[in-house]
Amino acid sequence: MSSSATLAEIGRPLVQRRSLWHYWRGGLRGSEFTWAVAFLVPYVVVFLAFVVYPVLYGLWMGSRPGLYVELFSDPIYQMTVANTVIFLVFGVNLKLFLALMLSGFFMRPGCWTKLMLLVYVLPWAIPSLPAFISIHWMLNGDWGLLNNALYEVFGIDGPSWLNSRWLALGSAICSHLWKWTPFWTVILLAGRMSIPQEIYDAAKVDGATGLHSFAHITFPLLGNLYLVLTLLATIFLLGDFNTVFFVTGGGPANTTHLLATLGIRDAYDMGHPELGVAAVMSALPLMIPVVVVLMRKLKNTQVQL
Amino acid sequence: MSITITRPPMPAQTLRPTQRLRRAARRRRVFGHIGAGIVSAIILLWTFTPIYNMIMVALEPKGDVFTTTLFPARPSVESFWIVLSQGFWYLEFFWHQFGNSVYIATMVTLLVLLIGSLTSFSIGRMRIRNGWLITNAALLTYVIPASFLAIPFYLIMQHYGLNNNPWSVISALVTFATPYAIFIFQEYGRSIPLELDESARIDGASPVQIYLKVYLPLMAPALVAVGTYAMLLAWNEYLYQFLLLSSKQSMTVPVALAQFTNSDVAPWNYMMATAIIYALPPIATYYMFRRKMTAGLTIGGIKG
Amino acid sequence: MRGITRRSVIHGSVGLVAAGLSCPHVARAASTTATVWWVQGFVEEEDVAFRKLVADYEKASGNTIDYSIVPFAPLRQKVVSAITSGAVPDLVPTTPAEAYVLFAWNDKLIDVGDVIATQKGEYSETALLSAMCYNSVEKRRGYYGVPTVSAAQPHHIWRSLVEKAGYKIEDIPNTFDAYYDFFKDVQKRLRARGERKVYGLGFQVTTNGNDPNNLFNHFLIAYGGAGIVSKDGILHLDDPQVREAAIKALTYPSIAYKEGFVPPGAINWNDADDNTAFHARQVVMDFDGTISTEVAIIKDRQDYDDVVTMGFPLSNDGKPVPAQVAIGVTMIPKGAKNPDVAKDFMKYFIQPEVNNERLKTGLGRSIPAMPSIVKGDHWWFDDPHRKAYVELGLLGPTIPEFYVYNPAYAQVRNEHVWATGWTDVMQGGLTPQAAAERAFKRVEEIFAKYPIVES
Repeated sequence: MSSSATLAEIGRPLVQRRSLWHYWRGGLRGSEFTWAVAFLVPYVVVFLAFVVYPVLYGLWMGSRPGLYVELFSDPIYQMTVANTVIFLVFGVNLKLFLALMLSGFFMRPGCWTKLMLLVYVLPWAIPSLPAFISIHWMLNGDWGLLNNALYEVFGIDGPSWLNSRWLALGSAICSHLWKWTPFWTVILLAGRMSIPQEIYDAAKVDGATGLHSFAHITFPLLGNLYLVLTLLATIFLLGDFNTVFFVTGGGPANTTHLLATLGIRDAYDMGHPELGVAAVMSALPLMIPVVVVLMRKLKNTQVQL
Repeated sequence: MSITITRPPMPAQTLRPTQRLRRAARRRRVFGHIGAGIVSAIILLWTFTPIYNMIMVALEPKGDVFTTTLFPARPSVESFWIVLSQGFWYLEFFWHQFGNSVYIATMVTLLVLLIGSLTSFSIGRMRIRNGWLITNAALLTYVIPASFLAIPFYLIMQHYGLNNNPWSVISALVTFATPYAIFIFQEYGRSIPLELDESARIDGASPVQIYLKVYLPLMAPALVAVGTYAMLLAWNEYLYQFLLLSSKQSMTVPVALAQFTNSDVAPWNYMMATAIIYALPPIATYYMFRRKMTAGLTIGGIKG
Repeated sequence: MRGITRRSVIHGSVGLVAAGLSCPHVARAASTTATVWWVQGFVEEEDVAFRKLVADYEKASGNTIDYSIVPFAPLRQKVVSAITSGAVPDLVPTTPAEAYVLFAWNDKLIDVGDVIATQKGEYSETALLSAMCYNSVEKRRGYYGVPTVSAAQPHHIWRSLVEKAGYKIEDIPNTFDAYYDFFKDVQKRLRARGERKVYGLGFQVTTNGNDPNNLFNHFLIAYGGAGIVSKDGILHLDDPQVREAAIKALTYPSIAYKEGFVPPGAINWNDADDNTAFHARQVVMDFDGTISTEVAIIKDRQDYDDVVTMGFPLSNDGKPVPAQVAIGVTMIPKGAKNPDVAKDFMKYFIQPEVNNERLKTGLGRSIPAMPSIVKGDHWWFDDPHRKAYVELGLLGPTIPEFYVYNPAYAQVRNEHVWATGWTDVMQGGLTPQAAAERAFKRVEEIFAKYPIVES
């Protein structure tokens, strides 16, 4: 009796310890755990070597409060913030919405669709600098291709696309969509591919039309991916200065600057890199919620098919 | 008095159900085709207009950009020939720089796919505890946009002795592309049931075998998508490439393209010709891999 | 799987990074090597000239110059990155032109007075004034850059377009306002002859690049506002003559735009668009720095001869208008590993014969900062374009850029304060006086951030 009791007393802590250990390792045993760690090592090395120092240095560069005073006293700062918000709202949402719709289009079978996909992906493949400079020339009010075409085909004199703030901003947004929507479309297309065809077939037997199957199958399953992509697109767009820089140059009269282009101007034209970093970091109040939501979304949950 | 009973004509509603369905299906198909046609036309017009402008400039003999016509008066393909034969001083080392671009793009793509998939496999499939720490840390990479991290990157590359070395660019681009890869693989992997991994494990497969035989084939569309992203990022990125590479021999084509903005009187036709020629390899590569995009859950994995 | 074990994966990645970290810096072969970043020329011959100069120096001195030729825009980014991070070369030209005054202000450059002393008598007064900047940390002025070239902004005119309008080049008036009014007339006549989209005045009334700043300064100086910043760095916007000149300088180009004599797209031109428009013969006259416009088409003899390079007319009250000359300097950043070799190289570089040889090989796109060079060599006068440019930028009356007196003006340029004033008139509906008031306010705010205290 006493021996079995002692056995039980000894046994319990052992059992508790093992389950604690299991709990911590998430159910991975022995060699598997080492493998899991090994698989993580490459990225951890990249992270430690190339992320920690630059990001911390960058944060340090933008941390002086005096910089923000100087930033806010720049006459174009408020307009720049407004432009950035507009650009983000329209740029990100239009981009992803179009990507979602077009990913459905590109799911159609047939060679024609494959050919269209190849054409569609062209803007993504062409380097930004020449592409956007070409668009800048194309949109010139006096001698650009677009207005020449409008004149030849319809006989109308098109407006100067880059001369007014709103037309220029719209042009910049369209240029951005032109270049980057293919990228997001391809990702969503890959996402759609992962949905088993059997579900669609089952739905079709039940009489679902295209719209039905989209609303009840595709959208819920892609929902998480769509949200993650939206958040990532926001982060990427915040750093995009090529578009506005080459298409509108920030003009006319500095009215189409974004925080990214303003930052680049401050960093390199004024030789004041800390001010440049401060310009983009002033978007942190917007970025932090985005990053937090992204963190939550990326936690491990399995999708219910 | 005779009562004539005439049968009223059969309205559509009384057609047999299969005929109704067929007619509706045909209508949907027709609308579908028309819709597809309209979408295709819009895509073609939208995509090609700026590209047409680039081609037009490339064909202009004097590189004039501002004209009043829709097509050059005297088109000439001389500019393409100049690029291919390295006949202009900005393009002196075009093929060498092209080779640099290929090397950097290949390395970046391979490393991003490898590191990204390994990490996402470990966190998402093997479900290592507290793996979310890594994904959250990875997000830190994006807090400050890449264009503003150029200066500290420049500094650490000096410290690591990677000055003027393509590996400095490769490291920088891998750093920026991998978190994105991890997130996409994570998201994409959610729709692949974990039972597949379990059944493979029960069959006695080691993690490496699960990774190679189960995970990677099922992830094929995502691999193609992310791989294309990494390849194009490395192919077209120019800020880090011109900051970290100094000599003409180590430069890449995007940096060479940026030279044309050096002067206010550059031959734009050469620049556009270079850009067009340079855009062809990624398109060709994407074309080669496009079939992998259609690999789905029908391949491997599920058995019975 | 053989080959891949978990240990090898860990070892592999750690090893890769360790290798990178332990890789030594490129060992300096000797202490007689200087690292030089040079800016790529606008024409190929300029690079050829530089390479030849370096080879000659290495032979003459026994030192080695480890140089890389970098295009303009990347060089600007590299210089900022280098100076911010501390990993600097030994010698680098200022990119853009005003960068060195800001670096000098922040005490990031090494004093090069001893280099300049070797050729002091040769330099023009403008060059010497330009090389001297204010150091806000040491609170004194010093020579922080070695002048190597000058740059001015001549007029570039298509002779054939003027003749198509029925005039000759000699018909162009020689007083300021009348000079530019002439091109308005040319445009009217050309339009009447069917040139639908040609414009007379290629004014860069945009907020991109440096051209608008040069254009504004030119008008300001011509109208009598050259005293806007005095040699001690003090702003003189309270001077009524300066104020009036500034208002007039804001008026003429913007009103010309509103009247339709400047291409409407000019309000948002980027740095190269004015040249592109000029080359496409859509603009009759372009006001642009150096003779790169002509040198770029030097191989096309017919076009090259068709372009006329012209200096300035007299001011409205008949006095000569000085040209504002930007002096290109080379700087030695603080923290350079071999400043002495760099200085030695510069002493070789600025010798008149050496400098002349280099500039001549470079097709004369840049002119020297030493008058004696051109006076002694008739090559500079053989070509009409070069002749006009040299007379404008070196032999005629010249004044330095305003930013050499006070870096605040560099910020005024970078923010395009004056160009914004034009836009206020062209699109914002403001009168030139109101636009000027706004601009004055901002200029004063900027100057307040750069106090100069001479010790």
